[in-house]
Amino acid sequence: MNLYQAVIIGGGPAGMMGAITLGNHGVKTIILDENESIGGQLVKQTHKFFGDHAHYASTRGFEIAQKLDEEISKNKNIEVENNATVIGIYPNNTVVYTKDGQEHKIQAKKILIATGAMEKQLPFINSDLPGVYGAGAVQTLMNEYGIMPGKRFLIIGSGNIGLILAYQLIQAGVEVRAIVEALGKVGGYDVHANKVKRLGVPILLNHTIVKAIGDESVQGAIIAKIDDKFQTIPGTEREMVVDTIAISVGLTPLTELAEQAGCKVEFIPELGGYVPIRDERMRTTNPDVFIAGDLSSIEEATTAMIEGKIAALEMARDINGSDTKEEIEEELRTLALFRSGPKSVKIRSGLEKMGIKISIPTKPIINEKKEDVIGKLRAVLECDEEIPCNSCEASCPFGAIHIGENLNSTPVLDAEKCTGCGTCVNACPGLAIFMMKENEEESTVTLGIPYELLPLPEKGQKMWGLSKEGNYVCDVTVERVVKYPNKTNIVYAKFPIEFKDTVRHFAFPKKESPIVCRCEEVSLEQIEKVIDSGVTDFEEIKRLTRVTMGPCGGKNCKLVVLGILSRKTGVPISKLSHGTSRPPVKPVEFSVFKKGGDDK
Amino acid sequence: MKSNASVVIIGGGIIGTSIAFNLAKLGVKDVVVFEKSYISSGSTGRCGGGIRQQWTSPMNVRLAMRSVELFKRFKEDVGMDIEYYQGGYLLLAYDEKEMADFENNVKIQKNEGLDVELVTPKEIHEKFPFMDLEGVVGGTWCPSDGHANPQIANIAYALKIKEMGVDLNTHTEVKGIDVQNGKIVGVETDKGYVKTNVVVNAAGGFSHEVGKMAGVDIPTYSERHQILVTEAINHVLDPMVISFKKNYYVRQTMHGSFIMGQSDKEPARGNDLGHTVEFLEEMAPKMVHDFPFMNHLHIVRQWSGAYNVSPDAQPIIDEADNISRFIFAVGFSGHGFMLAPAVGEAVAEMVVYGKSKTMDISNLKMERFKGKKISKERNVV
Repeated sequence: MNLYQAVIIGGGPAGMMGAITLGNHGVKTIILDENESIGGQLVKQTHKFFGDHAHYASTRGFEIAQKLDEEISKNKNIEVENNATVIGIYPNNTVVYTKDGQEHKIQAKKILIATGAMEKQLPFINSDLPGVYGAGAVQTLMNEYGIMPGKRFLIIGSGNIGLILAYQLIQAGVEVRAIVEALGKVGGYDVHANKVKRLGVPILLNHTIVKAIGDESVQGAIIAKIDDKFQTIPGTEREMVVDTIAISVGLTPLTELAEQAGCKVEFIPELGGYVPIRDERMRTTNPDVFIAGDLSSIEEATTAMIEGKIAALEMARDINGSDTKEEIEEELRTLALFRSGPKSVKIRSGLEKMGIKISIPTKPIINEKKEDVIGKLRAVLECDEEIPCNSCEASCPFGAIHIGENLNSTPVLDAEKCTGCGTCVNACPGLAIFMMKENEEESTVTLGIPYELLPLPEKGQKMWGLSKEGNYVCDVTVERVVKYPNKTNIVYAKFPIEFKDTVRHFAFPKKESPIVCRCEEVSLEQIEKVIDSGVTDFEEIKRLTRVTMGPCGGKNCKLVVLGILSRKTGVPISKLSHGTSRPPVKPVEFSVFKKGGDDK
Repeated sequence: MKSNASVVIIGGGIIGTSIAFNLAKLGVKDVVVFEKSYISSGSTGRCGGGIRQQWTSPMNVRLAMRSVELFKRFKEDVGMDIEYYQGGYLLLAYDEKEMADFENNVKIQKNEGLDVELVTPKEIHEKFPFMDLEGVVGGTWCPSDGHANPQIANIAYALKIKEMGVDLNTHTEVKGIDVQNGKIVGVETDKGYVKTNVVVNAAGGFSHEVGKMAGVDIPTYSERHQILVTEAINHVLDPMVISFKKNYYVRQTMHGSFIMGQSDKEPARGNDLGHTVEFLEEMAPKMVHDFPFMNHLHIVRQWSGAYNVSPDAQPIIDEADNISRFIFAVGFSGHGFMLAPAVGEAVAEMVVYGKSKTMDISNLKMERFKGKKISKERNVV
């Protein structure tokens, strides 16, 4: 039987980073991975990662995998066994795996289990119909094998995986009808949610899937609103025509091998379900067995890599007496910093149950504000969530973006120092940075947006300016398209200055006319038709089409309508009459007034 | 804007544009209309949109019946769908005296040829089972009454008359009528002067003020009436329902929203078009009582408009006797929209032929108020 100093089960980010660390400390290591090539979930991640610039932030997942793979193949201490399925861990640290129809046995001084997690399932009627997938399965089919399993998707769950999947599906050119989320708020990062919202994908909160419809395969889905006890509210059911339902309601750690190795597991929902008990340095209750990555707690690839490194440093100490004390402490500090933000509350409390306390770094979260410089081409940072990420700060060649030592702080722009180069727009993993320049003399604004769709628009082309929710706002004219090697290109377009805080995406005009007034379902085409017939008074357009006359009282569409009128007539919006505001500002039930007013 | 006009119409509301439409139809060239704001900015755009023939004065019944004929043809004649719907009008009576009045009215209306009938509470309940008829002793029902969208109707006329060659000037305010030696010679506006010998006062809420510009004292004044609209729901209510006793009218538009209003106890005078929360507080209990399904219906918007009131609540359609060719169609007292097609036809005939031909409207002259006992139209909310 082959004897290895270290065996790593699972070649994802945690396992890869563990192998590199072990190899660098002279430990003879083998990675057993059941796939064709190592990389784990990273190989299907086409989005850029958040994080510390030192830890692959703003690098796309599959590129991280490539980089790690290169390092591994250069390291003579590391051996990689692909297509190797570990079937059990037996006494004396014997790891048994199958490969090429043959049983293989190896023995190790120390074992790092980094088997990751699998997707949770969600029971609903007809959930066994072909066309119901796990989100990860869709990503595998699409991003690894180039197979698109459907044309119209419904995604269940608004965690980062669901949000990222929606974005990738749109990049691949298919339709995402909606993302439904059982909770009252989006599960994943706001920036990921914003990315899909401005592409027009509605995120339906407090909703669930009731059933899939179809005989042979999915032809639709019935979704419904749910109350605070997650019960379907009768009468709120509605049908959506979709051919694929992707479930992304969370992950659960794959603990089987760890349990066989004698590691004690406990049920800690904050960490994802049953997880092996381990110490700060990733050692389980079996002193020879370490864990890292999603198996230890459902988190990000970035933290998985740090955990893999910590586990490996501790293993190297055991195996060959390497002096890794300082390195471990440094990594523990980094990990604590990553987990110190508001997005890691759950992880912190889960770890605490295990007796691991994350000391929140004393470095304060800073949210300073700096003066904006109107009229200058500069970055606009729309990152208000305290995510552990500093890729913008690190990318800026001019030191114009400041985050500080606590990378959970939100970035602040020094507009004086900003040269308008756009590097940060390209680097931001959340696509939350835009470029802006007001052209006061012509009452327009030039907006640069990160653009990761194909085909790219061309200079001079007319596009639709869409709002943060993906609704039509106004027409825009493309001024400049800047291509970048990392495929996050920047498209600059010009449009009326009134919409500078509204428009956040550009889309090619579609054949169907966009709905401008959603209350009364009035399309751009209907409005333009009325204007073309010679009615150029906002008040008259309103009365003929009912725009702005619905329950919202025009809060959503009035400016858009005025923009259309302004574009068609050449009269600036500021010179147009915009109607009269009348009570009630929000619709009120008759019942409210039944007893007469209570004088206060 | 033209510098010479055969006829100048002051007011681009439903009356003014209907008159212009009929003048153009009669082949009159160089008709100029002045509207001080946008089309449907005045009383037309603010009104409830009912089209009713159940009046107490025979003249009102006849005018309304003629209008219904024309509303039926509106889409063909004027070229736009104005959401006209003949869902009927249901008038509710709450005591024997009111019922006796209704019986009398029905006699007058039937005499004019109107298809109208008395209905019992049981019959009403069968027609409209969703209503709470507590206290109702009976009612009247006219199935050919109905409603339409006044704003679209006004804009429809405006677009049509432009197409027919009428010079329609919106956002143009008339500042004076130039009268020399008892004869009109021109009209002064904030955008310039136009020469003309014929002026039609169709100024709605401002009819008295425009009359004064030509030195004619028209006995009209304006008062504020409040109104509200709800969110849209599926169609349930066919007719306009009116209760004089409870002081309300309500209808469901083709869009699905409900439009309703009342007369305030002491309506604010003039063209001050504000609104009060008391209006909502007064409307809510009676509407929810009579239409229980409205309890959770949302009010989307309230506003108000001016009734241009005449002494007998009937229109004044006349030509001044002391000035040459100053014609007025004013004082519609809250029912101008529904009479507009017939009035437009009659006034256009007055302009062209000196008197109306299709209908005899001579008893709408101003002289009816001179020293005589005024017989008031009572069916007004």
